[in-house]
Amino acid sequence: GRTSDTTVITLGHGLDPTHPVHQSMVFMADTLAVISEGAMRIDIYPSQQLGTERQLLELLQIGSVGITKVSAAVMEGFAPEYRVLGLPYIFRDEAHRHRVLEGQIGEEILLSSERALIRGLTFYDAGSRSFYTKSRRVETPEDLEGLKVRTMESASQIRMVNAMGGSATPIAWGELYTALQQGVVDAAENNPPSFYLSRHYEVCQYYILDEHSAVPDVLLVSTHVWNRLDVQQRAWLSEAVRASAKVQKRLWRLASDDALAAVTEAGVEILRPDKSPFEAAVSDIMAEYEADPRLGPLIRGIRSAP
Amino acid sequence: MKAHVDIWLGRFVVLLMAVLVLDVVWQVLSRFILRDPSTVTEELARYLLIWLGLFGAAYAAGQGSHLSVDLLGSTESRRRASRVAEAAFGLLLIIGGVRLVYLQLVLGQSSAALGLPLGVVYLAVPASGLLFLFYAITRRAD
Amino acid sequence: MGGLEIAVLAVAFVVLLLWGVPISYAIALATLATMLVSIPAMPALTTEVQRIATGLDSFALLAVPFFILAGHLMNHGGVATRLIRLARAVLGGLPGGLAHVNILASMLFGAVSGSSVAAASAVGSVMTPEMSKDGYDREFGAAVNVTAATTGLLIPPSNVLIVYSLASGGVSIAALFMAGYLPGILVGLMLMGVAAYKAKKLGYGAAGTAHREPLGAALIDALPSLFMLFVVIGGIVAGIFTATEAAAIAVVYALVLALVYREVGWRDLPRIVLDASEMTAVVLLLVATSIGMSWIMAYVKLPAAVTGALLAVGGNEIVVLLLINVVLLMVGTFMDITPALLIFTPMFLPLAVEMGIDPVHFGIIMVLNLCIGICTPPVGSVLFVGVGVAGTTITRIVKPLLPFYAAMVIALILVTYWPALSMWLPGLLGL
Ligand code: NA
Ligand code: NA
Repeated sequence: GRTSDTTVITLGHGLDPTHPVHQSMVFMADTLAVISEGAMRIDIYPSQQLGTERQLLELLQIGSVGITKVSAAVMEGFAPEYRVLGLPYIFRDEAHRHRVLEGQIGEEILLSSERALIRGLTFYDAGSRSFYTKSRRVETPEDLEGLKVRTMESASQIRMVNAMGGSATPIAWGELYTALQQGVVDAAENNPPSFYLSRHYEVCQYYILDEHSAVPDVLLVSTHVWNRLDVQQRAWLSEAVRASAKVQKRLWRLASDDALAAVTEAGVEILRPDKSPFEAAVSDIMAEYEADPRLGPLIRGIRSAP
Repeated sequence: MKAHVDIWLGRFVVLLMAVLVLDVVWQVLSRFILRDPSTVTEELARYLLIWLGLFGAAYAAGQGSHLSVDLLGSTESRRRASRVAEAAFGLLLIIGGVRLVYLQLVLGQSSAALGLPLGVVYLAVPASGLLFLFYAITRRAD
Repeated sequence: MGGLEIAVLAVAFVVLLLWGVPISYAIALATLATMLVSIPAMPALTTEVQRIATGLDSFALLAVPFFILAGHLMNHGGVATRLIRLARAVLGGLPGGLAHVNILASMLFGAVSGSSVAAASAVGSVMTPEMSKDGYDREFGAAVNVTAATTGLLIPPSNVLIVYSLASGGVSIAALFMAGYLPGILVGLMLMGVAAYKAKKLGYGAAGTAHREPLGAALIDALPSLFMLFVVIGGIVAGIFTATEAAAIAVVYALVLALVYREVGWRDLPRIVLDASEMTAVVLLLVATSIGMSWIMAYVKLPAAVTGALLAVGGNEIVVLLLINVVLLMVGTFMDITPALLIFTPMFLPLAVEMGIDPVHFGIIMVLNLCIGICTPPVGSVLFVGVGVAGTTITRIVKPLLPFYAAMVIALILVTYWPALSMWLPGLLGL
């Protein structure tokens, strides 16, 4: 049918519809429909129907998909500024992280990908990532020695895991359950909801809350779409985005607490090691990043932020 | 002309397959024997598969070996339809592929592990498109 | 969105197929026509080629070229012959002996590798020539191979059961794996029943009695070749490598044996590799273009349209399960199993749960149903692989496939309406 009066934006992402981030997007779509009085609509395609995170970014550049959500780690290939967000222990704590991402530095990073035809709208919280192992108790970085740790396919993540003593092994997320079960890798790392929803806790005994990094998710719009919107439409969209980000933060915290409770219930032992030896293990590579002319100022800016 | 293209394209496809096998064997050796897992072999393998799939499919087009539903038998007009479709498919790969390569090169996007420009990876799309078009024109209608 | 796009897709595809256009071009051009009515021209063209290229950007698909190449090397290099000679010595003049070997090998292979395309390419490229030598129809062998290869998606480990777990928002994978054993074995047994019946009727394998070989000699001769199975399967089970990596190891091992047996020289290699690559590429292009088609089907909201229309009928648990199965069987004719699971699980699972069906049981129903779909024309990844490695055509394989489809559908009905078949084993283990 024809929808000549309504501006429709296509949103594709890779999560299933029960995920808190999907629900926050539904909230955004509902909010936009209400405040624009039906002049704008977002059609959401979950579950990788339109592609994986990286493929969706390309579709934003091509112009066939309007909005997507990816991990900030995936953005590294599109805008190098995003690399700082994945650095180990870059944020002091959750409150610090939220202030930085909602402040001027966050804004700067969101707009850094505009030259790649993608514009950041907001960050979604994705908590902190921690290691989990099949069978080894890990209290210090030395305990990671000799463990094959599944890592995201990102140069900086690989360096980090190796610096902490593990043996970084990139494996596709979808193949990780079997890889852990069969022993192709001995460990992996992710945030509590992902550890829970992926069911990796069925084959892993320990979740080690070292909270080594806190890569956020990021909501992005194609500049093809953004540039076509008038001032009023952009204001509506921005308002809906802000409302959604607020809801998402609450939903994420709930999901994170629920996940830790559920994996404990299922017999996983949660370890809370001293984080400082882990942080010390990566101090050399952090010094290197600080020497980088593009990343250095950003890193110092984040560190000195209140 | 076609015979020459067949020979060189065939050699190229064999080379791709050989590198692909060596790459994955190296992945196992580096992880299991050297205990120092290679971080680039998986990505390289996936990109080689794109090239093998597209150039291999172009080679198969030259040999006329793509599968069809041969329900109604083969007639002159139906063979011509196949060649027109092959040409159209080649044009799709050329036009869409050039745009895709252009976007990736201009935007300077590089792959996660190898740091390879993605425009180079996608170059296989328009390049194989040219070969499909070439075969649609030169392949005999028999 | 809706009606117009769906009509364009269906009409363009059917017209192109009837015109004798190769299936991969027909899929790509029908997809393009549909994209052009929904998206501006340049983004449409670019999106489609991006789907085709990234459709190949998959580590799991890598098993296809490797197992096809290993199969070629085994056939030319005398490995296959020795293995089949052993099988013949064991099974003798049993009707359809080699068909059973094919099914058992596919089940074992699929079970271990968790990939039906890997099983179909590995077993099919070895068994088809040997079955032909024994007087089996090429198409009959391919039909056996294609359907048996799907059992590995139910027998754990299974990547598609993991996909279902993710799409469902976290149904226990351990429970799904346990629940898949009996249905997977049931399908295998039913396929063996059909194979035995057809083989007896058509007189396949009766010739086996004439050249039955002494078991001991055949066993000794086959030992190095058997060791290859040990390396590949043992390596996966022991966690030394993944199924895909195992395929590359199989290539190297088959190459070494072929050179040792002196049935293949270095000079024959380029030809063998080229043949394998060509066959691989035919299959890969089909898979890649169908991934493009799945994208446009999702984009124009075909799934919601189909589901809405059929479920508007409503009714009790039996009727709803029947309707869901009918929808999925229709979906499976055109869509590959992974996108179908990702798209339809969130649509159907809430409905099923409301009807009191266990999510684990429902996952087994969906996977078994879509296993039929990957064997049916016009679009089916395992069908494509099976037809490719057997060197036959889709038109010719359809008739021999019919009784095997029937067996799978009966298995599906049993699995659907007899929950204990799936739930007994996980229940026993307290999952
Ligand atoms: Na399996
Ligand atoms: Na099908």
